[in-house]
This record gives sequence, structure tokens and C-alpha cells, in this order.
Amino acid sequence: MATIDLSVTSVTDANALLRKYGADGVDVDVLNPDARHHIGVGLTHPINVHIKGSAGYFCGGLTDGPRFVVDNNVGWGVGDNMLRGSIVVNGNASAIPGVAIRGAEIVVKGNIGSRAGQVMKEGTLLACGNANFMAGYMMYGGRLIILGDAGEKVGQDMTGGNIYVAGRLGEMGTDAMLTDLPKAELDDILAFLDKYKIPFKGTLQKIVNAGKKLRYPRSEPRRRAIPFFDSFADNAYWNAKVQEDIHIKSQIGRYRIRGYGATRPMPHLSDIAFKKDIAIGAGTDPDVISKVNMKTEVGGRSGANPLKLSMPVMIAPMSYGALSKSAKLALAIASKLSGISENTGEGGMSNEQRAEAEQLIYQCLSGRLGWNIHDMQRANGLEIYISQGAKPGLGGQLMAKKVTPEIARIRGIPAGIDLRSPSRHPDVLGADDLVIKVEEFREATGYRVPVSVKLGAGRVRDDIKIAWKDGFDFVELDGMQGSTGAAGNEVLEFVGIPTLSAIQEARDALTEVGGLDMPIVLMGGIKDGIDAVKALALGAHAVAVGTSAIIAGGCIACLQCHVGSCVTGIATQDPEHEKRYNVPVEAQNIHHYLESMRWQIAAITHALGYADPHQVSRDDLVALTPEAAAITRLPYHPEYREREQDLRRAS
Amino acid sequence: MCGIAGILYKSSTAADAMVGKALIDMLDGCQHRGPDSTGFSLYRESHPGHLRLRFIVGDGDAAHEAIDRVKAKLAEFQATIVEEEHKGSSYAAMVKFDGDLQKFAFEMEHAAKLSSIGESLDIIKDLGGAHDVDNVYKIEEFHGTHGIGHVRLATESDVAPEATHPFWATGFADISIVHNGQITNYYKMRRRLEKQGYFFNTDNDSELIAVYLADKLKHGITLKDALKTSIEDLDGTFSFLVSTKDEIGYAKDRLAAKPMVKYEDDNIIAIASEEVSLNRLFPGRALNTSEPAPGTYDTWQRSTSA
Repeated sequence: MATIDLSVTSVTDANALLRKYGADGVDVDVLNPDARHHIGVGLTHPINVHIKGSAGYFCGGLTDGPRFVVDNNVGWGVGDNMLRGSIVVNGNASAIPGVAIRGAEIVVKGNIGSRAGQVMKEGTLLACGNANFMAGYMMYGGRLIILGDAGEKVGQDMTGGNIYVAGRLGEMGTDAMLTDLPKAELDDILAFLDKYKIPFKGTLQKIVNAGKKLRYPRSEPRRRAIPFFDSFADNAYWNAKVQEDIHIKSQIGRYRIRGYGATRPMPHLSDIAFKKDIAIGAGTDPDVISKVNMKTEVGGRSGANPLKLSMPVMIAPMSYGALSKSAKLALAIASKLSGISENTGEGGMSNEQRAEAEQLIYQCLSGRLGWNIHDMQRANGLEIYISQGAKPGLGGQLMAKKVTPEIARIRGIPAGIDLRSPSRHPDVLGADDLVIKVEEFREATGYRVPVSVKLGAGRVRDDIKIAWKDGFDFVELDGMQGSTGAAGNEVLEFVGIPTLSAIQEARDALTEVGGLDMPIVLMGGIKDGIDAVKALALGAHAVAVGTSAIIAGGCIACLQCHVGSCVTGIATQDPEHEKRYNVPVEAQNIHHYLESMRWQIAAITHALGYADPHQVSRDDLVALTPEAAAITRLPYHPEYREREQDLRRAS
Repeated sequence: MCGIAGILYKSSTAADAMVGKALIDMLDGCQHRGPDSTGFSLYRESHPGHLRLRFIVGDGDAAHEAIDRVKAKLAEFQATIVEEEHKGSSYAAMVKFDGDLQKFAFEMEHAAKLSSIGESLDIIKDLGGAHDVDNVYKIEEFHGTHGIGHVRLATESDVAPEATHPFWATGFADISIVHNGQITNYYKMRRRLEKQGYFFNTDNDSELIAVYLADKLKHGITLKDALKTSIEDLDGTFSFLVSTKDEIGYAKDRLAAKPMVKYEDDNIIAIASEEVSLNRLFPGRALNTSEPAPGTYDTWQRSTSA
């Protein structure tokens, strides 16, 4: 038995000690906790930890195996994402107890705060007292037992799992309903109560999902679709595309879903040109790559191990789920071949992907789908997704055809539902909560792994300042031209701001607060090395490519990614379709494309007279359109357009 | 986006309680929620016929010019300065005055950025953490019966002393609030109050809460009832604390999006965003705290009898 006294030891040091005691199998008493946050975060050994007082936010969060006893109260998110193990709280628990648990047993002797068990997947959350507002909100599985009163909106938008309530039921949440409680289930619950020595003589009511919102009621009729790109190419008011859209909506009675990003023309990096008359192509020094320093580090500003990129390019986050395992594998292999980073996207990390990608960023989304401590600890970077350029403010969508048993297992959700991920994180309702979340990730990974935030371009000026104040190691900023596997068409076309506006606002905001030390990785319609150099000149530290990497790997841009029957085997989980995808060949294709970007970045940098693409600046740019000039405040020089076209043709 | 804290010693014999020290400890405990700036509402001893004023004047020549303007304006209202203090970016004065407070307040607002007016209220706020502000203004030396405080992480408005909480209900002596959250029907409510002749010092949504409550109090509604209607009338996410000359209260929105924990015993009521702040008052002790339910409010009065 060891003792850690938090009146003299910092929580960070205490957590390092707990990991050490965990490895040695030594139980620990924690003295004077005084409601400090993050106690026990990141522990992955089955030791007993006795916290002698109150604990703060995320007590025992991001763990697998330990057994905690807390003598008094706990703050927000006790047992956050806990896999195995248990936490017994002898006092009250604040909001979101048992958030996103995947097997843990959380027992609270007193009352529990609002949104108990939000997005939980597996395991048991027990409140001996009363629950508050929206208990079981968006839960995907597991059981929530409330021996007191349930509060209002119990089971709000639950997808799976069971809620049992002994006391009064308030207003039922949407898509939740009462059902019979089978004897075997009751016996199971009584055995659980017995295990934790909780006397109970009452009766329980059972609440489950009512099944009204799990699937879109009608799917889109299958017909030869007019490409979405055509809707804006033809200026006729009631053009064929507009008519088609109305016809389909008259059948399905809702918005249409599709893949990719905005298709309508909007200001972009192609409306910017280099001021100097440069020519790259046949005449360029064949050895140009060796003459330009392209090595780029991202994420080291607070002492974590930075990502080391061979050029200022990353692979953008795309999920296994939206894409096939084969497509993700090809991206991982290509990223390694080109010495850049790959990103898991929503929905977890696969062993194959981890094995192939040398540098892998692990994305944490609101639903905590596929999120766990072990993958956090083997990631090279962590990313908190707030939103994405294609659909700022909304969560991911994965249509039922793609929610196969394997995808469902990894994500911890029921198979065969139209998965609509939550639009906001359970524990990030503001900048003040976010800073505590970031700290939890750092505690869980011993401050080794950079923590970044992905922001869809909306109110960039405010958001980027918050990101800087909350101490993120870098920001992935995603403009409106960014793509997605599935979103409502109107959202894709009309929500958000263009990538060009996003980088300008970000740069202005960081200049204002003195935060230029926080790197921005710009994404959203970056299609080649020319765009990359322009992005860098406008203030990005690196760029990320998603759509263009997918196209390099065989995508035909039909925009039907959501359907799940992708003919190229990229955006599908159907083995028949996936087998068309040749991983080694497509990995080489993506790698070649990335190398073409490398050559373009080097050639342009060299032609502009610099030795590093980060030296290219705004002074090297002009705007070709009044809109681009207004957005970027670059001088308006339409006469450079021809030169820009020459550059593209030549490279 | 912030952290809030408030404390009230119930017994009047505790008029000498170390409220300043308690607030510093509580705010330092949740400084991670808001590193940009920190503010305190302190309730000092009141003298009949006297008002305390505090202005944010900045520094250097601008500060001296602002102070000159304040003094000229005070002279115009025949308010004579009894005491004055120029510390950090603020200038405070105690004056003899017994005219129409609202008119006086609106006029003084034109002289410099007015932080607070009250018989006893003194709002001290500046950039930096609780200890930074204490170093300049010696908050720790303040003894009294109650006070509230705030740490701020600026999200949509500037990092500036005047954008820091607490907010004073302009024109109403001794009422101040601290708020964590966001009022989404701000403009609608502000226009409604402005039509009734109310004045807003800032574009910060939290100031609205102070003016809203002051308006209710002016119409003879009790603080408790004003808090009750605020939950109906204000839209958005909020946990806020209000203090007057002799009471403090809280209100919490119906979505419970912002945290709040309270501790009460025979001597004190203390409320904060997080239990870690409350535990700073009682190191090493497991406190019997509770979390106000969504959509609830309450007030506590200090005992006025000896």
C-alpha cells in the first residue's frame, strides 16, 4: 500500500506515480484530494485506488482496469471513457457521470448530475440517489440504474442500452419508451446491487429506445443522378438539377444527403497568384527538392513530441467507416512512404492502420466512437474535433449500409442504424470546459503527445483565439471546400466560410492576441503544391489533403460516398465492392501524388528565391478577383490570371 | 467562458470576515477556467450620504486626463471627494452626494469608464489572475460580510479591464453580478431595457443580467422573484451570482450547461463553479456540497441584527 498526498504532490506527478504503482501492482491511498481534477486519469492497471475526500473533473477518466473508491463527491465526467474497472463514489457525482464508458462499473451512492451516461456504450452506471436532467442522453449501450427519481427527459435520444428507474419518472425523453422488465434482467441488476452491497427493496421500470429516429424513414430513390457540380454550372433558374432536387425531396420529405463538400464556385486559393513571374516545369532544376528545406515540425510548442513531417503536408482526417479499411490502409502506407502523417478520423484506430502509418493522429469526436486510452497512448498526435468545414456545427453521419457489425463493434454502437453523431461534446460546452478536457488528454498521455483541435470554419476569429488560450499545440482549420462522407446538401453548400477567408481570419486573430506561435494546418480544397505554397504564404504552417488524396487513390468524385456502394471500393464497407480496391497500387498512386506536391512546393519556393516554403509570405501574392482581394487584403491584380494559368499548366 | 465564486458570512458579528482572502482562494482554485482577467465585488462599510465610485482609467497620461474629467464632473454635481485612490488601471473615490443617482451615474459614465457606484459596493477588476489583481489592489486585506468574484476567458469580446466581470447594474447602487455562460437573446432584451431608458456600459451579454435584475428591483420585486423570472426571460446557458448590499443569490439555466456547486453551514454560504474552489476554503476536508438543480435560484441574506 502506497500513499500520495495531493497537498504536496501535483496531480500530474501523482498520476505518473499511480502509473508506476500500477505497473508494480501496488494499491494506493490518495490523501487531501480537495476536489482536484484529473485524479487517476490514464491508469491502465487493475490496482485499488482509494481517494480520501472529493475528486474533481474526470476522476478515473480514460482508464482501463483500476478500481477507485472516492470517499466524498466527484466533479463532471467521473469514469470518462473507462473500459474495465470500477469507481465507487460515496458522495454525489456532478454532471455527465459515466460519460462514454465502455464496460466500467460506476456506482454513485448519492445523487448524480445532468446527462448521466451520455454516449455510454457498455458497462453499468448506478445512482443510488436521484438523477438529474436528461439521464441516459444519447446513450448507445450498457445500463443506467437509478434507484431514486429520474429527472426530466430520461433517455433523451438514446440509441441503445437500458435505463432502469425505481423512483419517479419525469417527462420521457424523445424516442424513449417504457417496456417490460424480464425477470432475468432484474436478477442481474439485483446481483449487481448485491455485489456493491446496496440494499434495495423497490421495483424498477425499464426504459429503452423507441426506435422512431434510428433510421431515416425514406431513402432517396435510386436513379441516374445529375451531378451536383452541374447545379451551379447552369445559370438557368429552374435548371434540370433544381428540378431533380425538387422531385427527390417530394419523395423523401427531407433534405438530401451526399458526399464531398461545397460544389458551388466560391473564392479560393485559385483566386490568388504569385507576384513574381515564375516558371516551373521542364526548365526547373531537376535537383530542386534537395535545395529547399521542407522539413516541418508541428505540435511541439508546449513540450510534447512534435510530428515530424518531411514536407508541410498531412493526410486529413477521414474515418474507417466512411472509407473502407483498404482505402485507409492505402492512405497509411502512402503517408509513411512520403514521410507525413495520417489521421484516424472519427471511429477509432485499426491495428493495420497503426502498423502502417509511421505518424498517426487520433481523432476524438463528440460521440467518442472508437475512443479509448490504449489507442491514445499509441498515437503520435491527438485531435479534438469541434467541427469540420463541410458541415460546421454538425456531427458526422454514417448511413446504415456502412454501419456493419465490425464498424459497430469498434465504435461501440448498435449495428444497422443511420448513425448521426452528436453535434457537440458531452464535456465541452464552452472554452472553460475545453481547457479541462485538453488537460485530461495531456494527463492521460503523460504530456508526450501533442493535442490539436479541428475547427470547421465558421466564426474563425473567435474560435482560433479560444484554441490559443486553451493551449492547443496546433489547429487544424477546415474551410467550406472541405469534403465529408455524408451531410445534408444545403449544409455542404451554404454553411461555413471558404478556406481562404478562414486562414485570413485565423491569421488576423492570432496576430491580435500575439499567438502566432500556434501553428495552423489548413485544409478544405487543397488540391496541389501550388495551393499549399499559397496557404503557407497566407499564414498556414502546413496543409492537409483529404479529397485530393482520395482522388489520387482512385475516387471518381461521383459524390455518392454516403450510399455505401462505392464502385471504387473506397467509400464502402461492402466486401464485394471493397475487393475492387488494390491497396498496394493505390498506396503507390497516393504516394506519387504526394511526391508531385513535394516537387511543386520545392519548385515554387525555389523559383520565388527562398530556401524554405515557410519563408514565402503575403508579399509574394496578389489577388485575382475583387472578392479574394477583399478577403485577404492582397493587392488586386487581375492581369496576373494568365500567368497563374501558365503555372498550373506547366506543373 | 469563466469561473465564478461568491461567499456570504451569515452572521453580522462576522462583519470582519476575511472575504477578500476567501475570494482570492476560490478564484485561484478555478483560474484554469479563465486566465485573462479577474474581478471582485466587495461590499465595504457604508457611510450615510456618501457614495463609492470606481473608474477604469487606464495608465499614463490617459489616466490623468480621465481622472481630471471625473473630478470636473463630480464638481459639476457638487459631489465632494472625501477619499480617493489611484491604483493599477483604476481610480476610486468616496464622495458626498445625495442627488438622483441614475442621472449622476449616466453622466459620470461620460467622464470615464465607470466600474461601480454604491454606498458600499466596490468592483475591482483587472487583467491577470486573482493573485495578480490582489498584488495591485490588496484584495486580501479586505474584510467584510460578503462578495462575489469572477475569472474570465474572453471569447467574443475584448480582453480589457472593462470587459471583465463583475458587472454593475449601471445606475443602481450596490448591485453586481458574475456570470458563466452566454445569453442568446441578449440584443432583444437589451433593446427592451434601453427603450425604458437603461444604459449599457459594454457589449458584454453578462451586463444585461445586472441591468435586468436592477430593473426588477426598482419595480419593487424581491431579488428572489427577480431571479425566478430571469430563468424564464433569459435565453441561453448561464450560471450566475448576484450580490446586493446584504444578500447574494444564484440562478441556473434549465439546461444545466454551466456548472455550479454550493456549500452551506451555519456560518457561511459559498457558491462556485467547481468544488475545487470550495475546497480551497477548507483544505483537507471532505465537504458536504450540493449542486443546484437546473432552472433553480435562491438567495441568502446576511443577518442585520447584532
